[in-house]
Amino acid sequence: MTRPFSGRKDGLSLSEALPDRSLFALVAMMGFLAALTLAGASGARALSARWSGGAAQLLTIQVPDANAPLAAQGGGSATTTRVQAVLADLASLPDGTEVHQLTPPELARLLEPWLGETDSSALPLPAIIRVKLPPDASVPATLEQALSTHVPGTIMEHNARWGERLRALANSLLACAGLALLSVGGIATMITGLATRTGLASRKDIIKTLHGLGASDSYIAGRFAWRTATLGFGGGLSGTLMACLPLLLLLQMAAPFASVPLTTPERLLPQNWQALANTIPSDMLCALALLPFVAAFICWFTTQVMVRLWLLRLP
Amino acid sequence: MIRLDNVSWRRGKKESGPVLAHLSFAVPQGGFRWLLGPSGAGKSSLLSLLHLENLPTDGQMTILGKTVAQDEKRAALVRLRHRIGMVHQDYQLMPDLSVADNVALPLRLQNRPEDEIQDEVHAILKWVGLGERVDVPATRLSGGEQQRTAIARAIIHRPGLVLADEPTNALEESQACRLLDMFAELSAMGTTVIVATHNESLVRRLERPFLFLERGRLVEEGDAQA
Ligand SMILES: Nc1ncnc2c1ncn2[C@@H]1O[C@H](COP(=O)(O)OP(=O)(O)O)[C@@H](O)[C@H]1O
Ligand SMILES: [Mg+2]
Repeated sequence: MTRPFSGRKDGLSLSEALPDRSLFALVAMMGFLAALTLAGASGARALSARWSGGAAQLLTIQVPDANAPLAAQGGGSATTTRVQAVLADLASLPDGTEVHQLTPPELARLLEPWLGETDSSALPLPAIIRVKLPPDASVPATLEQALSTHVPGTIMEHNARWGERLRALANSLLACAGLALLSVGGIATMITGLATRTGLASRKDIIKTLHGLGASDSYIAGRFAWRTATLGFGGGLSGTLMACLPLLLLLQMAAPFASVPLTTPERLLPQNWQALANTIPSDMLCALALLPFVAAFICWFTTQVMVRLWLLRLP
Repeated sequence: MIRLDNVSWRRGKKESGPVLAHLSFAVPQGGFRWLLGPSGAGKSSLLSLLHLENLPTDGQMTILGKTVAQDEKRAALVRLRHRIGMVHQDYQLMPDLSVADNVALPLRLQNRPEDEIQDEVHAILKWVGLGERVDVPATRLSGGEQQRTAIARAIIHRPGLVLADEPTNALEESQACRLLDMFAELSAMGTTVIVATHNESLVRRLERPFLFLERGRLVEEGDAQA
């Protein structure tokens, strides 16, 4: 049995009517762009997920005059310091909450860039408390209010506010990536359409003869579509492979921000491909692997529609 | 069985008059008809209707027992075309294919098994006298060889209807006679044959019923050319 639509001796000579060069190269460029866009989209998505996931659970609380005794308010014990009072209040947060008061050395390290090596014990530094809520918990809405009335001057920073903004940014990046992908797909469709039209024009008489000899629309459309789909697949594959080099470089630069520690640059050698591959998000890997098939489908579908419409002029 | 009832055909929209007007005739299965008339009378146009390259703009046409509606399903037309063989005036061979591959086309388009195709092609090429030219590219053939290739392609799938447009133009006298014998033989085997020509001497050689066209109209239908 001969293969369905390729290599048939029917005189269409599609390798000449639809030459590899133009369509293949253009689809390869589209594939390249699409691969980069996909990588960007996948990165934005990962960051968005991390920000919305992690940041919302973090609180930073500053307590000025930490070691001063809490101004007696009702029945409070006179020996309670302000920071102890805040810590006591935080104990009521849901189970699994991590509460950590920065130790003087930690504080010093945090402030070093601003204060240098000076002895900071003389400065009236506030106490800093880091609170990490368990993943499914949220900050009680009344917490900030309660803390500042109980221990006046306490400042609560909720990282989620930043997270919101960053996530909005990431989402708009994602939307841009989506639009870019749509444009790339649209351009690929147009390129395929033009190539098909040229091919049809150059094979007009041969198609008419074939039609008269009893070739069905699906045969002729299939022959053209098989050809453009093959070129599209090759182009998409080359474009994706070409995009891999810049993507690997980007991935390296992004590595410090990734949760999985990546190798140092000089160790980015074959024995570390495995480690590197592990840092590539799996959804991006899937999308990249699908790219040649999507390119082939776009070419196939466009050509099918164009040829079938063209054939309607013959009864 | 071929039957036309008041069939008219115009090229494109209404910008010009009909190329064929009010044609009515019938040809029984296995019948032979000369299609005669001066140049420009519409012989090629009528053959294009019978070959379903164009559909009538008016009237009713029945080809091989099937009435062809104006909005006939495309798949039905394809099936019907598989039962028709056509020799075009300009042969319409595929320039990139060899003689054998050209002739094999109708069978390949019907998805016949390849070994069967090879046997049929060699047999028919021997019959039309091209047994030695099997692998020659179509572009390297002489006019007569191209014409015989086109004829072989038109009959290899044993169609019920064979149409030929000026098929003897490029043939020498002896080959033309051979071709006429071939058409007579096909007709005797039950194939309907319609041959357009303006070659009077040819017609006198094979006395068969004729249809005479003039300016798109059927002006005479007779048993044999006087
Ligand atoms: N491609 C064409 N475009 C427009 N008119 C055509 C075309 N071919 C033929 N005609 C016209 O159609 C009429 C019928 O032509 P045709 O069927 O080829 O006649 P015949 O085969 O008897 O010589 C003629 O008037 C001819 O001028
Ligand atoms: Mg003619």
